[in-house]
Order: sequence, then C-alpha cells, then structure tokens
Amino acid sequence: MASELVVYSRLTAWLAPAREADWEALYAAQLPRVYNFFRFRVGDGPVAEDLTAITFEKAWRARHRYRRDLAAFSTWLLAIARNVAADHFRRHREHLPLAAAEHVAAGDTPAELAERRSDEERERELVALKYGAGLTNRAIARQTGLSETNVGTLLHRTVRTLRARWDEGGL
Amino acid sequence: MDDRFLHDQRRDPDPAFARNLRERLRAGEGEAPERRFRLAPALAAAAAVAVVAGLVFLPSVRAAAQGLLDFFRVRNFAAVEFDPARLEQLRATQNDPAMFLFDHKEVLQDPGPRQTYASAAEAAAAAGLTLLTPAELPSGLALDRVEVQGEARARFTASTARLRALLDALDLRDVEVPRELDGATVAVHLQPLVAQVYRKDKLEASLMQSMSPEVDLPAGADPAQLGEIGLRILGLDAGEARRFAGSVDWRNTLVVPVPAGASSFREVTVGGGRGLLVTTRERADGRTRSGALLLWTAGDRVLALAGNLDERDLLLMAESVR
Repeated sequence: MASELVVYSRLTAWLAPAREADWEALYAAQLPRVYNFFRFRVGDGPVAEDLTAITFEKAWRARHRYRRDLAAFSTWLLAIARNVAADHFRRHREHLPLAAAEHVAAGDTPAELAERRSDEERERELVALKYGAGLTNRAIARQTGLSETNVGTLLHRTVRTLRARWDEGGL
Repeated sequence: MDDRFLHDQRRDPDPAFARNLRERLRAGEGEAPERRFRLAPALAAAAAVAVVAGLVFLPSVRAAAQGLLDFFRVRNFAAVEFDPARLEQLRATQNDPAMFLFDHKEVLQDPGPRQTYASAAEAAAAAGLTLLTPAELPSGLALDRVEVQGEARARFTASTARLRALLDALDLRDVEVPRELDGATVAVHLQPLVAQVYRKDKLEASLMQSMSPEVDLPAGADPAQLGEIGLRILGLDAGEARRFAGSVDWRNTLVVPVPAGASSFREVTVGGGRGLLVTTRERADGRTRSGALLLWTAGDRVLALAGNLDERDLLLMAESVR
C-alpha cells in the first residue's frame, strides 16, 4: 500500500491542485494584504471587511482554477479582489454625487467627466495596490497591464498630490 | 518620494473578523469547489487516507539491516470502499496525514516545480519518457497542454508512537503495532510523471503516465499484516480488513480507496489488460455532474485517465492509447 502514497500524491496534484496549497498559511499571509487593499479603496469599516470576505469566498470556491505554475497566489487573489472592487463601485455608481454637477456646470462634458473619474479611479487603485496590498511596481504593472514605468510615474504624481494634501491636513 | 505616511496607513484586520472569516471558509471546506466534475475531491480524500494506510508498509529494522531486497511494482488495482467520515476523523487528528507515522522526512531529490509544455514531444524529452498518446479523441477534444512533474526521491523514518497515537485517536485499540517498525525507514522513488490535458469547452480529460514508482520493501516484512493495519485505519472492521488483506497481492497491487456512497467502481479491460474504473455522479444545482478515473498499466508504466467524459468515451480514449 505504500505505493498509494506515491501514485495518489501525484495524481491528485493534478486533479485537485488547490489542495497542494497550504490554505492556512496563505490565508494568514494574504488576509492583511487584501483587507488593506479594500481599506485604501473604500475606507475603514464594515464595507472593507465585507469585500475582503467576498474575495476570499470567491477564491475558495474557485480554488481549482488556481494554478501556481501560472501565477503567484497573491496575484491571483488580488485579481479577484480587483474584480470584487469593480463590481462594488459599479453597483454604487448609478447615482453620481452632487459634487459631480459642479464639473458639468463648470463646462466639463460628460465624456470629460467620465475620463476624469476614470483617471481618479485608476490612481486610487494604484495606491491601493501599492500601499494597501504591498505590491511592487512590477507586480502592479502585471496586474493592471500598464508598463512598470507608467506605474512608477502615475504613483509618483499621485503620492506627491496626496503628500501635499496630507501636509495641509486635507486627508 | 516620501510615502511613509501611506505605508503607515496599513492596519491589521480585526482579529474577530479574521477568525470568523476563516471559520466560514473552513466550514465550506467539506464542499467541493466549483469543478467541472467532482471526482477530484473524492480522490484527494481517498489519497489522504491512502497515504495514511500506505505508510504502514515499512521495513523492519532487522530486515533493513539485511538490505532492501524487494520493490513494489504496480501491476494490478483493487478498490476498497471507505467511509468519508473517517477522513474527517483523520483530519481532526492531524493536518498532515503523511506524518501520522513518520517523524522525519528526508528529501533526497526535489522534483522542482511542475513544468508546462506546448507539445507532447517537448514534454517527453523533458521527462525522458516515450509518451503514449490516445489515437481517439472523443467529443472534439484537443490537446490543451502537457505538464511534467520531475523525478523525486525521499526517505521516511517511522515512529510507532505516532501510529499508536493515531490508532488510539480512531479508537482502534485492538490493532497491534509491530514493534520493529520504530525507527524503520522507507525509501520512495518517483519517476517523472507526464500529464497530457485535453479540452473542449467544458469537457476535459487528462492522461497521466509514469513508470511504476519504486518503494523499498524489506525481506521479512509481512505486507498483508501491514496492509491490514492500513485497512483498519481506512475504517474497515477487523473481519473485513483481514479478508481483504488476505486476498490481495500487496507487492503488485495498488489499493484504491473509494469513498462509499459518492462513487462506484468496476474492473474493466484496457489494452487487453485489467484496469479499474471509478465513476462519480451527482446532482447539484439542478444538473448532473459526472466524473471518472480509469487506472491501468502497460508494462512497467502506470496510466490514469481522468475527466468528465462519459464512461464510454473515456474507455474509448483509453483503449486507443498507444
């Protein structure tokens, strides 16, 4: 019967790849990253916890799709987290904030307004990936499809703006 | 760029939230993941039990001193049903079933990460194996990828205290543990394994093959006695375990634990030889999902074909493997 150790350990490695992963260790290591990613996106509070929980539940249900030869677990998990965040913002964007009307009144066309919002969204996500999830610029580039240089440039500009607002007490 | 103020914004999740979420996920671990078929969890469960059961095959110290004289070679398959609840008992006892009996594992050759190749020829070259491939691909299946897991060698050292603790935890107090087991070592040699994965939409079939693994068995070991202990760990009662153990050629037979109720199995003929077909079928979300695993040998080669094809197509595909 010792052969079962040999044969099954290999067969099941293909058949149930997620079982290879040490889920306990992955959970402990990745929970703070995912949680902080959402904190940077939606702030402290129950929403960040809810979105974190949704991400891990989705990941667990889809664990057979995770193949560690294709992507690091954190990359895979954060890709799910980004989708969860996108779904969340899509659901909550049906009603524009009143402040958005200022831009329209100031002469921004809806297309310009959308572009501005898109840029802000991207910057917020880059900051969340960098400082919430703790990704390197290279890893962020892989996640977002941007070039590493572009990520660095955008982050530098965004952080400089945030730094200024921080110093002014505006954050 | 001074970005310390942003790094400083990171916070650890609330411990209660972290604990509750983990418990929720853990509670769902008994459920199978969203798979195209559910054979894998069943097999993984079986594997975990098989690992436990398999590890009782250990050389005695005396025999080890005489040298390792025999090797295990897979020639036949025999299925044995077990109660899936036993797996939960085993998990509750210890997370890593492989260490139920061993207190030391020495990796002699690391297989390295699994490698993916675009063609069977590249994979065959990497594995040093002449690949057998199916001539018939039912339902429009086409080769998706080929994966190779490298050669590996490991040596385990047994602890009768661990085995006794396991048996006690399972309330198997009537099982005798051979004293000479303590400190015995077993060496395992895994040959490269190649998996050819075929897909078509939601259909998938993986043909896995490897030369037979080598497991050192000492002269003087009583495979039937040790196998009987393994069967008791699997949950068979004393009478069943003794009858099954006495009917199996343990040196050439791969015993396949099949979760009772979730699957069925039968002996089939593949390429003129005997094989074992394990099938699962269940209804979930209003749909019937099925999966199958076919095991057979060709010379010294062990083959497995697993997928969500129907039984007829799986056998057709296996029969065409050359």
